[in-house]
Amino acid sequence: MSRIPAKLQRWFRQNRQALLWVVISFSCLLAAWQIASMASGGRLQIPPPLEVFQAFFTAFVKPIGQNTILEHAAISLGRVLSGFAVATVVGVVLGIAMGVSDAVYAIANPIFEFVRPIPPIAWIPLSILWFGLGSANKVFIIFIGSFTYITINSYEGARNVDPQLIGAAQMLGASRLRIFTKIIFPSAVPYIFAGLQIALGVSWAADVAAEIIYSQSGVGWIITMGMNNGNYTQIMVGIIAIGVIGYLLSTVMRAVEGRLCRWNRQAK
Amino acid sequence: MQTQTKVKVEHLVKRFGDLLVLDDVSFEVKQGEFLCIVGPTGCGKTTFLNSLTGLYDITSGSILINGEKVDLKKHSVAYIFQEYSTMPWMTVEQNVRFGLSLKHVPAQRAAQQAEKYMDLVGLAPFRDYYPDQLSASMLQRVVIARAFATEPELLLMDEPYGQLDTELRYKLENELLNLWQQSGTTVIFITHNIEEAVYLGQRILVLSNKPTTIKKEIVNPLPLPRDIAAPAFIALRNEVTELIKWW
Repeated sequence: MSRIPAKLQRWFRQNRQALLWVVISFSCLLAAWQIASMASGGRLQIPPPLEVFQAFFTAFVKPIGQNTILEHAAISLGRVLSGFAVATVVGVVLGIAMGVSDAVYAIANPIFEFVRPIPPIAWIPLSILWFGLGSANKVFIIFIGSFTYITINSYEGARNVDPQLIGAAQMLGASRLRIFTKIIFPSAVPYIFAGLQIALGVSWAADVAAEIIYSQSGVGWIITMGMNNGNYTQIMVGIIAIGVIGYLLSTVMRAVEGRLCRWNRQAK
Repeated sequence: MQTQTKVKVEHLVKRFGDLLVLDDVSFEVKQGEFLCIVGPTGCGKTTFLNSLTGLYDITSGSILINGEKVDLKKHSVAYIFQEYSTMPWMTVEQNVRFGLSLKHVPAQRAAQQAEKYMDLVGLAPFRDYYPDQLSASMLQRVVIARAFATEPELLLMDEPYGQLDTELRYKLENELLNLWQQSGTTVIFITHNIEEAVYLGQRILVLSNKPTTIKKEIVNPLPLPRDIAAPAFIALRNEVTELIKWW
């Protein structure tokens, strides 16, 4: 019990300078926001920061529509993680298959190059018709938007394996399967993680877009409802929630990567 | 045991298209012997090793280990080359144990073997380090420990110390001799460094320029450990140098 505060204390001591800058940075933003709010005259167009934060924290206990803000966040996160999980499995398998097999690459790559530049939101109407109005259509949008990044990076990772390492493993008597599981896959992991990091950001963006276009819950819905009711404060509460969740997602992802790719720290 | 033939190369010819690289090379390596092969840069030394390990198909002739055609699944051959082939995602200990795990050595025995060879090359204190935290000579030590830990019947080394400075090279050469004497493995060591060949080898094969043949076979009678400043050492080094003179 007593170790955690000590650790925290040390962390604060070590990062005092950086924390100070974060505080200054946010203070500037809040000040600019406050000034803009006052200068615009009418409180309705740009609600002041204090009002927005009050509404934000009130939403933890008082529901917006059917759900509290945490429930909305949980619903959105559930969609993102489902779509992202499917994209990860498909992307890694397809990407590595393209990396190790020329035939798979030759077949998959043209389709892939065609699908890749289509923005995920272009799929929303089709997705709604296919999967209905619920969560499934969002999961599909998230999947289609994010799997391309994972595929490309997994492919690059599988391609860029040092041939010396494969040779060394062969000389030590490794079978083809072992070379795959012990050499190709681990050496592709940092590439895969770089792809996952981008893909997670894209997933979040795709989910919010899908929720804004049509949904009955989730943080995107908070914004659309705010717009429909002319409730500026609610829109900004939704935007803050989106920013916070986006930040948390990428932080968690970086932490996982740091853990799994400890050996690769110099490449950073 | 010393007289048993480990590797037998007979009338080995290797062509790449029209280019004749190895021209009728024949020699034998005895069980437990330390053989050095020297020759000018680009003379086909590496081609020879790659033929031996089956990476290249040979054009004609034969290479036999224990009287049989080379089969890496059956014969335990370790290959150490100039580039450091440590797996960057494995710690020192995991790297040293990698070959053992590929050969399905039971965990307890693998741990013992890894321990022994990490100790012999002085890596035990660094067991949990990752390769990017190690110096060049330490990386090559990891590779050497990994190779010896599998107790190969034949160890092939292709200019393993080419990237190291003189002092480290001496250190690692002594370590290698020590490991060789303790393990009794057969070593074929390829280098273009004449002093290194005279320092290490019991026998030295001097190769010619392309198309490569064996120019001369020299038995090195000097006892170990050798003194590179001794007149006999210098005389032998000069003899080999005379034979090559590729500059």
